[in-house]
Parts: sequence; C-alpha cells; structure tokens
Amino acid sequence: MMKKYRSLLLLVLYIVLPNLYFSQKSDKIWIDGLGRSFFSSDAQINEEDTISASNISSGYNLIDLNTHINPFETIEIFGQVRIKNEFGSFFGSGTQIDIRQLRASGIIKNKVKFSVGDLFLKQNKFTLYNYDEELNFFENNYNSSYKEIVDYENFYFENRWRLQGIQTNFSYKFDRFIRTLEFDLFTTRPRGSSQINSGLNTSISDMLISGGSMVSKLNKSFTAELNYVLLKELPATGTVERAIRNPVYQMGINYNNKSENSIINHKLQAGFSERNWSYKSVDDSTSELNKGMFAEFSSSYFKIDSTFSLNLGYRYVDPNFRSSGAQTRRIEMNETNVGSIYSLYSNDYLVRPISVFDIVTDPNIYNQNISGTLMSFDPIFSNALPYGDATPNRQGIFLDGKYNSKNKILNINFKTSYFNEVIGQGTTQKRNFFTILQSSNINLKEIFNHTKEFDLSFSTMNQITSREGDSLERVNLNSQHFNLLIEKEILSKLFLQLSLKRFESAGNEYINKRNEYGEIFTFQSLNITRVDNLYCYGIKYKYRENVYINLQYNLWNSNFNNSNYPDLNFQRFLFIFSIKL
Amino acid sequence: MMSKTFYKLSVIFLIISFGCSKDEVEGPLLNEIFGNFQLNSSFIISNNSPDFSNSNELVKFHCDFNKSIEWKISILGLESGSLKEISGFSNLIDSNQINWNGNTSQVPFFKKELCAVELSFLNEVDTLRDTINILETKVYDGIVVADFENGIPQEAIVFHQFSMNMTFDISNDDPLEGNNYFKMGGRMGWNEWFLGSLDIPLDLASVNTPATDFYINLGVLSGINGETASDQFINILVSESTYPFNDDLSNNASDVFQDTMEVYKYQIRPVDWYGWKMISLSYDQFEVKSSGGNNLREPKNITAIKIQCQSCPGANANCPENMGIDVRTDVDFLILTQGSDLLSQ
Repeated sequence: MMKKYRSLLLLVLYIVLPNLYFSQKSDKIWIDGLGRSFFSSDAQINEEDTISASNISSGYNLIDLNTHINPFETIEIFGQVRIKNEFGSFFGSGTQIDIRQLRASGIIKNKVKFSVGDLFLKQNKFTLYNYDEELNFFENNYNSSYKEIVDYENFYFENRWRLQGIQTNFSYKFDRFIRTLEFDLFTTRPRGSSQINSGLNTSISDMLISGGSMVSKLNKSFTAELNYVLLKELPATGTVERAIRNPVYQMGINYNNKSENSIINHKLQAGFSERNWSYKSVDDSTSELNKGMFAEFSSSYFKIDSTFSLNLGYRYVDPNFRSSGAQTRRIEMNETNVGSIYSLYSNDYLVRPISVFDIVTDPNIYNQNISGTLMSFDPIFSNALPYGDATPNRQGIFLDGKYNSKNKILNINFKTSYFNEVIGQGTTQKRNFFTILQSSNINLKEIFNHTKEFDLSFSTMNQITSREGDSLERVNLNSQHFNLLIEKEILSKLFLQLSLKRFESAGNEYINKRNEYGEIFTFQSLNITRVDNLYCYGIKYKYRENVYINLQYNLWNSNFNNSNYPDLNFQRFLFIFSIKL
Repeated sequence: MMSKTFYKLSVIFLIISFGCSKDEVEGPLLNEIFGNFQLNSSFIISNNSPDFSNSNELVKFHCDFNKSIEWKISILGLESGSLKEISGFSNLIDSNQINWNGNTSQVPFFKKELCAVELSFLNEVDTLRDTINILETKVYDGIVVADFENGIPQEAIVFHQFSMNMTFDISNDDPLEGNNYFKMGGRMGWNEWFLGSLDIPLDLASVNTPATDFYINLGVLSGINGETASDQFINILVSESTYPFNDDLSNNASDVFQDTMEVYKYQIRPVDWYGWKMISLSYDQFEVKSSGGNNLREPKNITAIKIQCQSCPGANANCPENMGIDVRTDVDFLILTQGSDLLSQ
C-alpha cells in the first residue's frame, strides 16, 4: 500500500516540479515524449481448434515523458518515465510507472563530449552493429505503425544497441601530415550479475562491452579508421565457473574521389576476432578458442543529386570469426521464443512457430541483449546472411543500388548478392546463396496529377540456397517474399491503406543446433513447403507526420503443408493512436 | 601516390581472400547423423572365459561402425539373472576403453556361470550376440560389516517388537550373496511404526577417506507374492559416539544412538520394489539426527551402525491395507567401500 502511495507521490513530483521550474527557467528544462493507445482484438478462425479461445483482446495506454534538463549550456540530464496502464486495470492497480531511460551528457572545455547512462552505440558493421531483423529491407513503410512500435519498444535506433555505461569522444585538427583525428571510447555493462537459482545461491557474472574507435582524415581523399570492441564477463561477480572473452579488431581505409557530378568511393577493411572461455577454478586456463578474420572491399558510385548510386563489393568472413556486438540477432528463432498471442494452438496444444505476422507485429519476440554465442535463426527467413554482413563462413560478391527519378515519380532500391560457404557444414560440400531483392515506390499523385497523396509501393525478395552432393548433402531451399502497399489520401489527411505481404518457402535445409559454446553439435533436417500471408486494410488519419490514428483489419495465415502442424488462420482488429512530440 | 598504394592493397587483398577457401567441415558429418547404419567390423570379445577373482582380468570389447550411434552391450548371467550394461555414443567401441571386470549393474551378483552377451544399437535392427563363461567371480573390495554367513555379527544386537509374523533372524532361502541373509519384517498389531532393528558395532579407525568418498552399501530384499506393504522403509543410523556400545544390557539395544550423541541418519523410503536391490549411499548424504558432536561426518570415527525396519501401521486406520500384508525389508551384504560405490567397482 505504502509503495503505491510512494509511486503516486513520485509521479506527482515528477510532473509538477519540472513545470514549476519550467515556468521560471523555460530555457533550461524542456519536455517531449510519446503517447500511445493500443488496442487489438485477435480471433482464431481455425475450424480444427476447438480448445483455444476464439477471441482475445488486449491493449494499453502509455505515456513516455522525456525530461531534458540543461543546468548549463553544456550539460543535459535526460530522463524518460513511462506510465503504462493495461486495458482492464484501474488506477493504482495494473498501472506501471518505470524509469525507462536516464542519461547525463555534456561537453568539457568545449572539446570532450561525454555521456553516462543509457547509450545508443554503433561502430563498424563487424564490431558493433544492430542489424535489421529478417524481412525488413530498405526501411520500408509497408507496416509502418507496427514497425514504429517494435523499434521503439526495443530501443532499435539507427542500427544501434542500447547499452548502459559511459561514452566519450573528442577530436583533433592538424595542419600537417594528417587533417583530423577523432576518438570515441566507451565502456558499458549490458548485463549485470543476477541470481540463477535462489536455493543454490548461484548467480551469473557481470558482462561488460568496452571499445574504441579512431577515425583520421589523412587528406582530401583518404580516411582511415580503427575499431576495437571487447566483450568480457567478470567471473568474480558471479558464481558461474566460466567466463567469455571476445575481442574484435577492425581497420579500414576509405578513398573518396569527388567530381563535379559524382563521388567515387573505395573502401578496404579487414579485421580479426578471438573468443574463448576462461575458468575460475583453473588458473590461466582457456577453452573453445576461436580465431577468425574478415575482409571486405567495396566500391561505390554516387550521383551528387542523389538520383543514382551503385555499390559493388567482395567480402570474406572466416568460419571462426566471432563478434558478439555485430552477430547478435534481433530475433532468436528457437522453440522458447514464441509470439504473444495464441502461443499455443490446435487441440494438441502445439507451440505456434514464429510467423511473418509475429515478425511484423510483435515487439515481445525481439531481443535487446548482446549474446556471446551465435543465436539460432530460421533458414527460411534469412539463410544467406542471418548475422548481417558479419555472418561467419561466407565469401562472395554483393551489388546494391538506388535510382530516384528527377520528377520524384519513381524510386527503386535493389540489392543482390552471391555468397558461398568457406567450409562446409556437416560435409565438405559448400552451400551457395543467391539473393536478389528490390523495392519500388511509385508516386501516383504525380502521374495522375492528383492534389492528394497517392502512392504505390512494392518489393520482392528471392533467396535461393543450394548445395550439391549426394542425397544427404543436397540442399535446395527457395524463399520468396512479396510486399505491396497502396496508400491514398481520400480526404485531407485521411489515408486509405491496403497492404499485402506474402512469404513462401519451399525445399529442404538443415538447421544448425549449437551447444553452450556456440559449436554445432547436430543438425535438424528440414523439409518445408510454407506459405504465410498477411493482409492489412485500414485507414490512417495523420494530424502530423508523427501524430496519427490508425484503424486496421488484419487477416493472416500460415500454411505449413504438414499434417503434424495444422495451418494457422487468424484475424485482428487494431486501433493505434500515437503522438510523438 | 596514395591512391596507387590503395589499389595495390586492394588487389593483394582480393588475391589473399580468394585463396582462403578451406577443405574443412564444421559440425558432425551429416552421414554420421542421417546416414544408414553399417558395421565395419565384427564384435570382438577379448576373453570368453575370464577369471574375475584376478583383479587385473578384464574382458575387452571392440567393434566399429560407419556413424556415431547410441550402442549398448548387455551381459546377462543365465543362472543368476545378473545384468551388466555398458553403453555409449560413438562410431567405435574401443577395446582400450570399453571393458568389463565382472561387476554388475543390477544385483544379484554374477556367479560362476555362462553369460549371454548382446551388442545392440538404438533404432537399428542389427544385434550382435556372443557368450562369456565366468570361471571365477569378482571379489569386491571393501569392509564387509555383515554378510550373515556365520549368523549375526559378533556383539550385534537384534531387537524386534513381539507382534505378528516377526522374522528378525537369519534365513537361507533367497540370499543376495553367499548362503544366508537377515530377514527383517512382520506385521504390527498396534499403532506403531517401528518393527525392529539390528545394531552392529564398528571400528573404522584405520579409514582415512572423507565422507564424500565413503560409501555404505546394503542389499535390500522386498516384496511378498508380488506385493509390498504400504510405506515400509529402512532407517540407517550411523553413530560417531564414543560411548560404550552396549553399556546397558537391560534395554535390548545399543546405547550409542541416543539424542545427545553424534548420530547421522539416512532413510530409504519407501522400500517398494520386488526382489533384491543394492542401495549405495555416500556418507555425506546422511543428515544430522542428533547433534551431539561436531556434525562433520568423519568415517574414521564411526562406532556403530543401526538398520531399522519401519512401516506405516495398519492398526488404527493409518494404513489399513497393511493389516493384510507383512512388512519385508530383508538385508544382506552390508559392505563399506572407499572411492566408489560397490557396483561401480
């Protein structure tokens, strides 16, 4: 009871005190934030499932208040408080008040920037990088209302990892030999010591990620960079016997040639990693040592008016290259990670596998923690590069490009790549991966001379995995993904939306099963013919770009073509009111 | 100048990278997991007539197959019914590692007898068979506290209630080891859990093993006509008291298990199986019954052991079904071993 009153008091103080201060020193405190009402009503329309509830609904209201306090011009204290009320609860019961983010940042002597608290960190794509989830490419807006929620709730921001710690950066300018030298250093604790078993009084250790970057502009055309990241567990902070250590080094050189209309860029980068486990009880002992390297060369051509760009490159990533900060996935595709709605289905209480709908809509299946070992993935969704560019055991070429018509009618993005394994998995035969994807936006408003917005977007992805060999070794998996979005402004600021997402995968593959050290110990044979569909119809009223009401009807299904897994058929009614200040 | 160096570096990089393809394999071979099972050699037994009384005598096994698989070697005594099982997951049964010294996985013990040997594989129809003729049985290493071959151990004290069908005596109709065993059972006619006990004095001053490596092994026979009494069990009490074992001759029990003395206890509960079973307990598993000492469980200080027979009483409706069946918790071959339990020797 006392705790409830204390929370209430804190809330009142939090809201009132800054306002009092604001009234006097408005230039030193300012507030922004986000408010959201979310309601969904899901229904299962599977005739053979007579046990699951036919309809479930849930929702919440939340307000994230961001307070920025600037006691001096060079200091900012930032705090984000979340007040969340689940539908069906009353005030004081079911209402959560959380401190969601805290950060202090500033500048010392106008030279050194620092931040303490919640940091959003990104380095190189091989050292520290939060790669997009599967089925998401070119930052599309096919299901933008859902995507905004997934990213916001999981702190996904510009492919950065949200980590807690301290960061500083500073730079120097020179008048001879080199032009600039920039440093960025950080140390964070992504995981604190916590109890595993209260009865046995066992706990896991603290995990730290530290690193640094150095970028130097050598002259007008050349830039050099060095990146270093170290993930380390501190065995003394827990009772677990073993502790991981994973340093990653990267160095690169960038050549820029700017002409009147275009820029040509060449980038050469390489690096290496080490990973091992040490043991408390045996001094200086390590095991499961992995050492691996990577290298990449790419050349890009950009038109300065942004109408055209092309990037071509070659990449090699060693089978033993391990980089926790870059290889951690957003979604762990294993049996324990299940969707929030109807996680069990059918009269046999089967665990519902992650579907396209879950990937698009469910923020709870996403991961915010750095993993020291390779997380599991589902080859039907992302087989070529499940760990992004840092995917180990790959070598091959890639080509991507972009075209924007000058009249702003057409916008085309495309990517294609051909990779193969450096060494085989379970056989000396190696897999080949061919991927091609494109996304196009057509501005129908310009074509038909409408006064209101009218857009058509569509994208396709095709990924083919193959491996030659005997009947056991042979692999042939073909995954296709198609998106369509039609968005028309029917009244001022009122948009009619129609989107379709279809995913198909057919063929055979083997799923890697890894042990606690991330080593493959067995394979699971997979024969699949799967089709997922997601249809969304709705209207969206946009007060402003970031303030809108969205009403949607979703129809989605997964067809497994497997007698052991009945097909899924669900529908959802969705209401979102979102205000972002 | 620098741009030329850059291009040279890039060319070198590409050459190195293209040369990086390796002929290695990550993970187990697919053939080992999904391939058809095949035997690459016959099942070889190094010695078909072993004399296990010689502690160095081993029967070694060899066989190899085309994939890693769960395999099991079963050795069944055709007279005793004793069974020894050795299992593993590999593509090779290596005779340097896989052998048999005459012990058993499951009592009764092997006799001088013919044994049927079988090598089988999980989910495969292939089964390889052979025989072994045991010339002499294995001699287990340990301190035999009671084998009842010459009656009840010297100075031991037997106590039992005077109710129905009490059997606290030596018998020879179904021994685990040798010719005799000790019967502990009967039926209580009043509301009483305790049926009787056997107290045996011990002198283990020469033992230097810690409690974690010191094992108390006891064969327990249960079941009459395929049935057991409800909630029948055995308490094993171990005393480290220095008080004289039988100081008071009037009380029908030893005097070293009292509440003020250093006594440790383990309860085998329930005793609900049919036939013989070897129970092995490391001394550190015993709980403190009465903390009259330092609570350290030091084997060298053990002065006595008590085997108690108890059961849920049938009288007064605690376990009315027990009014129609006798309790049976017979024991044999109480042996103390060091380093490992009896059946792991």
